[in-house]
Amino acid sequence: MPSNWGYVFAAYGIAAVALLSYWRHLARRTHALAARRAAKPRAT
Amino acid sequence: MTYARRAWIILWKDLLIERRAKEHANALLFFCLLLLFLFQFALGPDRERLAAAVPGLLWLGFILAGLLGLGRSFLGERDNDCWEGLRLTPGDKSAIYLGKLAGNCVLMTAVEIILVVLFGVFYDVDLWTPAAPLALVLALGTIGLAAVGTLFAAMTTQVRARELLFPVLLLPVQVPVLLATVSATQALLLGQPLADVAHWLKLLAGADLVYVTIGILTFEFVLEG
Amino acid sequence: MIRVLGWLAVLGLVAGLAAGFGYAPREAVQGNVQRIMYLHVPAVLTAYLAFALVLAGSIGYLATRRSGWDRLAAAAGEIGVLFTGLTIVSGSIWGKPTWGTWWTWDARLTSTAVLFCVYVGYLLLRSLIEDPEARARYAAVVGILGAVNIPIVHFSVKWWRALHQPSTILGPERSPIDPAIGLALFVNWVAFTLLFAYFLSRRMEIARLEEQT
Repeated sequence: MPSNWGYVFAAYGIAAVALLSYWRHLARRTHALAARRAAKPRAT
Repeated sequence: MTYARRAWIILWKDLLIERRAKEHANALLFFCLLLLFLFQFALGPDRERLAAAVPGLLWLGFILAGLLGLGRSFLGERDNDCWEGLRLTPGDKSAIYLGKLAGNCVLMTAVEIILVVLFGVFYDVDLWTPAAPLALVLALGTIGLAAVGTLFAAMTTQVRARELLFPVLLLPVQVPVLLATVSATQALLLGQPLADVAHWLKLLAGADLVYVTIGILTFEFVLEG
Repeated sequence: MIRVLGWLAVLGLVAGLAAGFGYAPREAVQGNVQRIMYLHVPAVLTAYLAFALVLAGSIGYLATRRSGWDRLAAAAGEIGVLFTGLTIVSGSIWGKPTWGTWWTWDARLTSTAVLFCVYVGYLLLRSLIEDPEARARYAAVVGILGAVNIPIVHFSVKWWRALHQPSTILGPERSPIDPAIGLALFVNWVAFTLLFAYFLSRRMEIARLEEQT
């Protein structure tokens, strides 16, 4: 039975990239929103 | 005015419009003919390869025709500013859904009969012997396709990229119907008795019930605004 | 509050990795490739959780018309698609050394692929409607139909596979699960659920802020 670690790392690697990317995407959106809210005068 | 009468009026109106204008029927008929050529050219001259693929091709044909025909269900209302009229109809809006569904079933059935005949003639397949059980499978599959198709058609009529969104929404949901009908059709064409495909028929009947019920329950939400 | 969740998730993932690579043994039949399951199984379970929440949010919105429910559905749908994609990719990578091919139309992969397509369509629909009220309504209808369809898809694919099933080569699901593997699966599942909860909270918060802006 070959070791096949390459496949294991590929799977975990892709998962890590995907999840980290999504986390960064969320972080960036949050910052953009915060910046927009700070720039706008509060409308009541 | 009773619920059933309102549904019937929608159905009657659509049938009447179709009979007078004949735009859908003619175009779809010709489309079926073209599909025949398309499938033949795609699969090549080998008779047996084509015969083996007939169940799948038949339903592929229905679905393609369905995507075209069903997607346009509410176009008449939209283009002629009748959407408000639908929205202001008193009483339970789901009567409109059932009326439209019935109309679409009639349309799809006409397409299916044409395709079955064309397949029988051009591909030299015996579709007459299993005609009765095949008709049952067709009926159940048609209801499943039309039930979701009518609902999504109403939804996408007002949305951008309607022609793209409608198939993208409809096809994944129709996978079970496609699997069931093709498997059942294949078994029937191989001469197997109806009892052998009973589980598929039950799945189709169950799915149809679910789809029509959801259509009835959610149509009013689609019609708003 | 959300930050705590985030750190808990990280902790869980680290624990999951430790369990999957350190604690759990090398599987007898499949070898080390089996460790991909510690990613694949929790991912699909989390995806199902996500789509259950889409259903809840959809029904909740149509029943109450409060946008909080729609925000739940939107966030859960987005994250659900992410985890479904991960499920498919990890399943495919696992399949290559195991079955010799990147893709096979086996029941689970096929059902998951259909699930993926349904909810990508859901996200597409949401992206094409600007009016928030119409978007919430239409998405809710699709969300309900998609969720209710899941068991129907499951059975139809399963029976379809039974027709075309080649002889089952490897059936690791059949043998009783080594408790160490079971524990590693459990830890990873908890970790993924925590991560999902964290993502969901952040995504819903973004939606709430967007509504107010």
